[in-house]
Amino acid sequence: MIGILWDNFDYAVSVLLFLIGLYCVIAKNNLIKKFMGLNIMETSVFAFIVALGVVKGGSAPIMEPGARPPFINPIPQALILTGIVVAVSTTALALSLIVRVWRQCGTIEADELRELE
Amino acid sequence: MTLEMSRLFDAGLMVLLVLCALAVVRTKDLLAASIVFSAYSLVMCLVWDHRGAPDVAMTEAAVGAGVTTVLFLSAISKTVRKEK
Amino acid sequence: MKRALVIVLLAIVAMPLLAAMAAMPRFGSAEQPAYTHVAKRYLERGVEEAGAENVVTGVILNYRGFDTNGEVTVIFTACAAVIAVLAGSRNRQDQREAASSVPESLVVRYVVRLLAPFIALFALYVVLFGEVSPGGGFQGGTVFGALLIVMTVAVSRNQAERLLPLRIRPWLQIAGPLSFLAVGTAGVVLTGWYLGFPQGATAATRLMLMVLEFGIGVGGATVIASIFWRLGDEA
Repeated sequence: MIGILWDNFDYAVSVLLFLIGLYCVIAKNNLIKKFMGLNIMETSVFAFIVALGVVKGGSAPIMEPGARPPFINPIPQALILTGIVVAVSTTALALSLIVRVWRQCGTIEADELRELE
Repeated sequence: MTLEMSRLFDAGLMVLLVLCALAVVRTKDLLAASIVFSAYSLVMCLVWDHRGAPDVAMTEAAVGAGVTTVLFLSAISKTVRKEK
Repeated sequence: MKRALVIVLLAIVAMPLLAAMAAMPRFGSAEQPAYTHVAKRYLERGVEEAGAENVVTGVILNYRGFDTNGEVTVIFTACAAVIAVLAGSRNRQDQREAASSVPESLVVRYVVRLLAPFIALFALYVVLFGEVSPGGGFQGGTVFGALLIVMTVAVSRNQAERLLPLRIRPWLQIAGPLSFLAVGTAGVVLTGWYLGFPQGATAATRLMLMVLEFGIGVGGATVIASIFWRLGDEA
């Protein structure tokens, strides 16, 4: 059991980070803080998918002269690159919406916004 | 033996990651939280480089630790710094 | 009460995740399904088929070009949306705070000026050598965008904005999607498919990859800087 956990702790940490991010999104009131939590959730998923591609003793999938197999799976890395870009796009849009909310309502606390209606 | 060492290094980075994430959640000061978030991204970048994903690590260093933090700082400077 | 609810919810989310984790193939095993199917082919024949020594770049731009086409569209859309969202909103009078008076630092200013050409060179290197070493269009573009942001903060916004003249800035912002359109059309001419690449690492493939990397880089840098400037605008 301990051995399995030690071998797979990358996955376990991803789950833990996901939960921390989820807690931040649910329990925190500040909209900016919620988005930090969402970013933590995103990176935890990315870390999980990158960990899926790892091969023990493998080297990075760059075929320079002298590189020897095994190579690490390039597909998760390519997917995650796209994912990171989309993540920063959503963050930028969300932050601009938060700034807009602040200008309109004067607060970015979720419960105060709910009271404003 | 070298493999075990690299696993231990990984484990240390993971502990650092979890601590950074907890610090982001716990800190009331949003400015401090964004700086800690930047540190979190940097540790994540180390983890990915160590796992043989230098492309992803580079992107995370530039985007996660750089641009995302700057956007957070910019938004905080336009709104409030303290979380209620 | 609320805290207890949150903890129960987190436990409910955690249990299936941990259960799935226990059933996963071991970390780092070469027998897992993700590694034994299509990844094998990419690794064995990626260089001659996709024309890039860095297989990740080959996968992003060649094998999975449609994904990346969508991605550059997403960042362009995000830029357009940020500009639209922040257009014409006014601060309510009572919240207008005095502009923070951070003293200008001569040292920071000088160092940024000193380093700027080198950062720009590094960005160009990351873009141009994305096919043979870690890096690529978006990474290099982000580095250049970060340079623009640093210049805005440490030197002056006008000087940074002069690097992306307003007259051509919309074209720079849409450079990513446009380069994909151009290369996609070239693919239609050469192979009959949108974003189709000629077989093998020919000069045409190299040129198409280069155009894509450069388009993504220019587009990414401009979009990031534009978003930052737009967020920094006084309403």
